[in-house]
Amino acid sequence: MNVTVRFLRPFARCLVPYTFHRKRSHFYSGVLQRYMSSKAPSLSCHNKDSASPPEQLELDGWKATMKSSIQEDGVSEVSDKDEDSLATTRELIEMWRLLGKEVPEHITEDELKTLMECASKSAKKKYLRYLYGKEKAKKAKQAKKEMKAEAREEAKRARLLETTAEEQQQDFMFLRLWDRQINIALGWKGVQAMQFGQPLVFDMAYDNYMKPSELQNTVSQLLESEGWNRRNVDPFHIYFCNLKIDSAYHRELVKRYREKWDKLLLTATEKSPVDLFPKDSIIYLTADSPNVMTTFKHDKIYIIGSFVDKNTQTGTSLAKAKRLNLATECLPLDKYLQWEIGNKNLTLDQMIRILLCLKNTGNWEEALKFVPRRKHTGYLEVSEQSQELVRKLKKTKTLNSFRKGSLNARTWKR
Amino acid sequence: MTFYLSGFRNIPKLWKSNPYFELGPATSSAPFFLCAIGNQQRWFSVKPTTPPNSKALNLLVTKARTHRKGNDNNGQVSSDPHYFAAGAAKKRSHIGANPQNQGHALPVRSSVQLPTKPLNSAEWDKLKEDFKGKASFEDFIISQMARNCCSVDVAKSLLAWVAAKNNGIVGYNLLVKYLYLCVFHKQTSEVIDVYEIMKAKYKSLESGGYTLLIRGLIHSDRWRESLLLLEDIKKVMVPSKKNYGDCIQGALLHQDVNTAWSLYQELVGHNLIPPLETLKAFFDYGKDINDDHYSDKLLDILLYLRNNQLYPGESFAHSIKTWFESIPGRQWKGQFTTIQKSGQCSGCGRTIESIHLSPEEYEFLKEKIMRDVIDGGDQYKKTTPQELKRFESFVNSCPPFDIVIDGLNVAKMFSKGRESQNLLGVVSQLAQQNLQLLVLGRKHMLRPSSQWRKDEMEQVQKQAHCFFADNISQDDPFLLYATLNSGNHCKFITKDLLRDHKACLPDARTQRLFFKWQQGHQLAIMKGFQKSKLTFQHILSYDTVVQRTGDSWHIPYDEDLVQRSSCEVPTKWLCLQRKTPGPC
Repeated sequence: MNVTVRFLRPFARCLVPYTFHRKRSHFYSGVLQRYMSSKAPSLSCHNKDSASPPEQLELDGWKATMKSSIQEDGVSEVSDKDEDSLATTRELIEMWRLLGKEVPEHITEDELKTLMECASKSAKKKYLRYLYGKEKAKKAKQAKKEMKAEAREEAKRARLLETTAEEQQQDFMFLRLWDRQINIALGWKGVQAMQFGQPLVFDMAYDNYMKPSELQNTVSQLLESEGWNRRNVDPFHIYFCNLKIDSAYHRELVKRYREKWDKLLLTATEKSPVDLFPKDSIIYLTADSPNVMTTFKHDKIYIIGSFVDKNTQTGTSLAKAKRLNLATECLPLDKYLQWEIGNKNLTLDQMIRILLCLKNTGNWEEALKFVPRRKHTGYLEVSEQSQELVRKLKKTKTLNSFRKGSLNARTWKR
Repeated sequence: MTFYLSGFRNIPKLWKSNPYFELGPATSSAPFFLCAIGNQQRWFSVKPTTPPNSKALNLLVTKARTHRKGNDNNGQVSSDPHYFAAGAAKKRSHIGANPQNQGHALPVRSSVQLPTKPLNSAEWDKLKEDFKGKASFEDFIISQMARNCCSVDVAKSLLAWVAAKNNGIVGYNLLVKYLYLCVFHKQTSEVIDVYEIMKAKYKSLESGGYTLLIRGLIHSDRWRESLLLLEDIKKVMVPSKKNYGDCIQGALLHQDVNTAWSLYQELVGHNLIPPLETLKAFFDYGKDINDDHYSDKLLDILLYLRNNQLYPGESFAHSIKTWFESIPGRQWKGQFTTIQKSGQCSGCGRTIESIHLSPEEYEFLKEKIMRDVIDGGDQYKKTTPQELKRFESFVNSCPPFDIVIDGLNVAKMFSKGRESQNLLGVVSQLAQQNLQLLVLGRKHMLRPSSQWRKDEMEQVQKQAHCFFADNISQDDPFLLYATLNSGNHCKFITKDLLRDHKACLPDARTQRLFFKWQQGHQLAIMKGFQKSKLTFQHILSYDTVVQRTGDSWHIPYDEDLVQRSSCEVPTKWLCLQRKTPGPC
């Protein structure tokens, strides 16, 4: 007995076995077929033994179920009639999701409004993809968090069972307050940098060249740069110049730092760097500069434009330096690296790490380790002579600079 | 060297019979082989005998290449079209490029053999067991079917199987892809069925589904519903030009001309550029009706083509021709021709519109170049205010120039010889013709070096006016402005296509003006010049655009087999003229 029940409709009124025998695929007119299939719930059988030729395959039955299943859940959907564009957009996104496009599962009213404000179709798609990525990352993080919490619970339970037996007979020198100690030590170092450190300026005058998303990226990079600087042996004294109170920049920075903003060990000012420092000691760092930086000079004030440029507005910072009549320099990337792909513009945190490294060691190879590896294939051979020079420089520098490991020892002394 | 040879013999074989190429044991060496092929193919194409040694071989290659280059050039002189002719850039880029092994696409392997006839559910189950992949089986298989344009019945059997397993429910993504297949195979009744299902099942669809439904429905009796679908799209976004195009074609298929025209108006109103097939459909339809109103509208379309510098394709040109010839009583005669260098149509001998801008357009362009390209909101970006002032006073102090030369571009054009020598060569040849010259350059050209000799630069300065910008300033904007400022007769020499400066202009209309001006005023030096007489690429004297002169139309069109880049214009024309009513 080889009868297969193709599908069973749960609400079938009459369970009449009904077989379709299609002679030709185009034999039925659409109307007739629809009429028949809506009358009779399709419950087809077919015989496997008789090596079913394609004509005997029942191909159109699914249409009937699709259509009739609708009439039931169709009722519930009719109720809301007032379709404003927000609701239709929501539906559109839902349909796109069904199609497997990269759109978020849940979308808030605000995000919908932002979506509606997007000027073009591609902008909308881009924004939706961004939301999708965000949602995915958030979900993954949530899942990981839950997994970790579970593992922690497990470990706790296990420890409870064990530790009851063998107990406190150990001597310790310190309480476990490492994080706080480190923070205090870094704070002391920061204060010293405020007094005696070499200035490093972030020029914040680019907010009207950037879109909101770029501005947010910039602020993230600023936060990271500040963090790298704080942890260094010999930090810069950071200046945020041209930072207008209540500009988008300022608001975003305060939003990210919260109450820490007023306690940061750096100088934020509305003034331009030209007002704060003598003009001839300023060097504006920009990738468009024709002059290449050869050495890090400890008596100069370097300016970094805090500008994420996704729009390829080349020459903006060079134009700025030209207007103020400042010296400009760019990193000697081409001299030391076999450049492969990507922009010569580096992120702010990469810049500050390179500068910090140069300040402490003066070694270009070491400093340019912070250039992303994907952008270059490797270091270029530097001629013997210049290597000799570098070695000499290194010797003189290492005498009065600290080794990396000595960070804690040094801070404890003070 | 025998190694090379034997290695080489094997490689093409490997290349051709390589179903294992990705999977086989030689995977690790694949990249090496690839690059080896790249090199050796080049050698081989030049000299198929045993190579004596690689160095000599390379010499041979370069020799052969330069030789061929020369030949190409000679060939070009006779048949060479102008600098902006369709396909010219491609030709330029191919000259000197080694013949590469193109068209060797690696075969794409799919892990599942697509069925050729409808399967029953057991067979589908078995196929699913064989399948291993990331995506869901149903999704993957129907995507493959859509890609390979399987027959509708196979897809239908898949859907039936899915529905059977899934309580009679078929997912939206499967439905859409099935719909795609139905539309592709023009199975209108199936399209209508799917349309019914979708309408009942979902309250609204997304753009992809709508587009397919519109395209499927326009052939059926229920084509009016495609207009409703278009309305649905409009609720959320602007429909694409294809959506409009399909609806218009549907309306024309069913003789509803008014709807078609109103949709066309809407399409143009959204600033979308109508697809050329849609415009062609209007012309095709026009053959059957004889209505003055309708023909006026068709002439409006031709004007639209003119204003937006669109060029019809080959088949569209044929449609235009047939439509004109079908107008009763007028006796239009159409022929496909080319335009002579003098700007006269080879078919009828009429002169084509001149390339020169009208005085208003000229002033407009000049001001735009000054404001958007040179200044651009920040004078420091391309130059400095001091330099700009210096340049303006310099230009005003000189008489109008005849030719403005981009010094650096010209100097670097020829790989042989010093740069200053090349520049001097060009300048002195032009100076002999008693032309007022301006050489634009940068200050570093004045500093003596191995490439820039002082005496030669002094001679250049004797024979021409010179302006040297700062080393970090851009010289092209100055070039444009100096040329525009000197007047309509002034030309400029550079091989640069100036696309980045064109992109600085604010809107499409200004960009088109710029392009027209550029076609008429740019002189490009032909390659291969060395100590011989200076020859330029031919400058167009006429404008390549749809145009009407009294009783005739001239319509440039794109040939199907020629690829045209956006900075080029077509070379083929459709010439339409009315037969003068004879005495009989």
